[in-house]
Amino acid sequence: MFSDFFLLSTRGIMHRKMRSWLTVIGVFIGITAVVAMISIGLGLERSVTQQVAKVFGYNSFLVVGKNAFQSPHSAAKAVHVNLNVIKQVPGVTAVAAVRSETGFVKGPSSAGKSRQGFLPVMGLSPTLMTEFSSFLGDLSFAPGGRFFRPGESNVAILGHAVATQLHAQLGYTITIEDHQFKIIGIIAPKTTGQGASFGLNRTSNADTIFVPFDQMNVLFGKSDKVLLTLVKTAKGTDVDTIAARVKQALKAAGDTTVTTVTYSDISRQISTVMGSVSGFLAGIAGISLLVGGVGVMNTMYTAVLERTREIGVMKALGARRGQILSIFLIESGLMGLVGGIVGVLFGLGLSSVAAAVIRGYFNVEIHAVASPILIVSTLAFSFFLGAFAGWMPARRAAKLPVVDALRYE
Amino acid sequence: MMDAVLRLEGVTRQYSLGKTIVHALRGVDLVVHNGEIIALMGPSGSGKSTLLHILGALDTPTSGTALIDGIDVKSLAERKLTQLRGQRIGFVFQTFNLVPTLSAQLNVELPMIFQRVPRRTRATRARTLLTRVGLGDRFSHRPNELSGGERQRVAIARALANDPEIIIADEPTGNLDSESGGRILEHLAGLSRDDGKTVIIATHDPDAAAVAGRIVRIKDGRLITTQEGVHV
Ligand SMILES: Nc1ncnc2c1ncn2[C@@H]1O[C@H](COP(=O)(O)OP(=O)(O)O)[C@@H](O)[C@H]1O
Ligand SMILES: [Mg+2]
Repeated sequence: MFSDFFLLSTRGIMHRKMRSWLTVIGVFIGITAVVAMISIGLGLERSVTQQVAKVFGYNSFLVVGKNAFQSPHSAAKAVHVNLNVIKQVPGVTAVAAVRSETGFVKGPSSAGKSRQGFLPVMGLSPTLMTEFSSFLGDLSFAPGGRFFRPGESNVAILGHAVATQLHAQLGYTITIEDHQFKIIGIIAPKTTGQGASFGLNRTSNADTIFVPFDQMNVLFGKSDKVLLTLVKTAKGTDVDTIAARVKQALKAAGDTTVTTVTYSDISRQISTVMGSVSGFLAGIAGISLLVGGVGVMNTMYTAVLERTREIGVMKALGARRGQILSIFLIESGLMGLVGGIVGVLFGLGLSSVAAAVIRGYFNVEIHAVASPILIVSTLAFSFFLGAFAGWMPARRAAKLPVVDALRYE
Repeated sequence: MMDAVLRLEGVTRQYSLGKTIVHALRGVDLVVHNGEIIALMGPSGSGKSTLLHILGALDTPTSGTALIDGIDVKSLAERKLTQLRGQRIGFVFQTFNLVPTLSAQLNVELPMIFQRVPRRTRATRARTLLTRVGLGDRFSHRPNELSGGERQRVAIARALANDPEIIIADEPTGNLDSESGGRILEHLAGLSRDDGKTVIIATHDPDAAAVAGRIVRIKDGRLITTQEGVHV
């Protein structure tokens, strides 16, 4: 029976080509917008998450001040972290920390004169390079430069701006708080450091002087106050479990102002943020879908009304109300579905193009995501949108007494 | 042979148009016997269509009773009425009322689709019926590819699809020239004469009166005379 009604429905669609196309287009535009928006939103989320994953790997986490990521000011606040406590937690294989102070710095002297001033001095663990290189981003030195080696002391790395200011070059010696440091590296001006959220070649680090972490105690006195701590866990262990242990251990040791941030913490936050961004975009697209839907209803309404007489004839020929409704439901549902299919294809195409444009202009590694759930639910939605639009007026017409329907002009 | 297929007793039908009430039928008594062919004649607006609609179970009387095969139409639920229309009655309209999207064959199949007749059976039957009304070479033509007379013959074939006992034709020749009209009347007369079907034709056409076994005249919603016609 269904195949018979299907046949009757498709004849109806083919016969009224213009109207059918209008209906299809009404659905297709909205669906295109929604699919494109959501696909690009999902792509963006995946891109950001992948960047974070690249930096964190799957066995590192951060120890930072509480609320560090909730306001830009607190992010730079140093907190008490007992690194020895962390090192002793089972499952922890490496720890690196960053400590920041301001020191009195004298540049190399030339003709008895040297440039000098108070500058930011940052202590970095040598393990940053060996164990946490992903956090350094695409760190690149001017030719001949390198990072600290474990156990090395009295060596410094300069941001390119501060190197220029101090007239310092590779191999020269500068003085920090009356201690002499040999320059072993000058960080090259920022190239593309995308994704390296902790990258040393960020523009904000161009004025900074970097020294080995342990020497900060010598220069500025012993202190447990650090900006940031990175912890690496043993292979095969669960990062989140170890992070919880570390937090517990630190709390027991009296460091109560800190918290841990793992990859899953960040990706969860990203998902939340991106989810609402995608939701917002989809909402905007949804409006066009709604407008399209109203258009479809209007088209179907007049289309069915025009056929009131035909419905009357079918009733006179012995058609039951349900049979008439089926014909119109299939007919309008099919048009909705076709609109949906075209819309999904165009939406996916559009989002791929948009992703390519973003890649080209912003140098962000982003690809549109074709979510199967999105596609299936979109198709189902467009079928039901069409079906509903046809069902409403058809139900009305089918209810009309036969003689009234037959007289309809 | 002379048993009543259709019986109207004191049938009135009123339409309300805003405040005014139109009395389309003002008390009609009529008995239609099995196998007879009746011409219902009367001026435009006299109530012919209204009467046919009631006889064909498309409409119900405002008062009085309409019996089809002895069953009061008013007592039937919508579903039963639909079944009655689909199986017992074939309707032919003045304006043909073919479904424009469907071929001649599918138009004839349509009433059978609604009765769930299997595809093969119904295709064969549709072709047989079309051939019988002289459209053996027009199966796949759309209504707009057919002449008026041909369209009305498709409509007759469609009315016969579920092999109903009663054929009701409302001014079937009204939109046709006299030659095609004559052919249509020939077919309708043949249904009574050869197949023993009950045929009721509303018409202005004097030719129709000639094929009718009985002429029923209606004026202002009342039957005035019924006269025996000449059996052809
Ligand atoms: N649905 C309707 N609403 C209002 N008046 C109607 C309706 N159908 C028929 N009439 C009126 O009833 C009368 C009889 O109409 P009808 O049965 O169509 O006459 P005929 O078929 O003989 O021309 C006419 O006056 C017509 O205007
Ligand atoms: Mg009439």
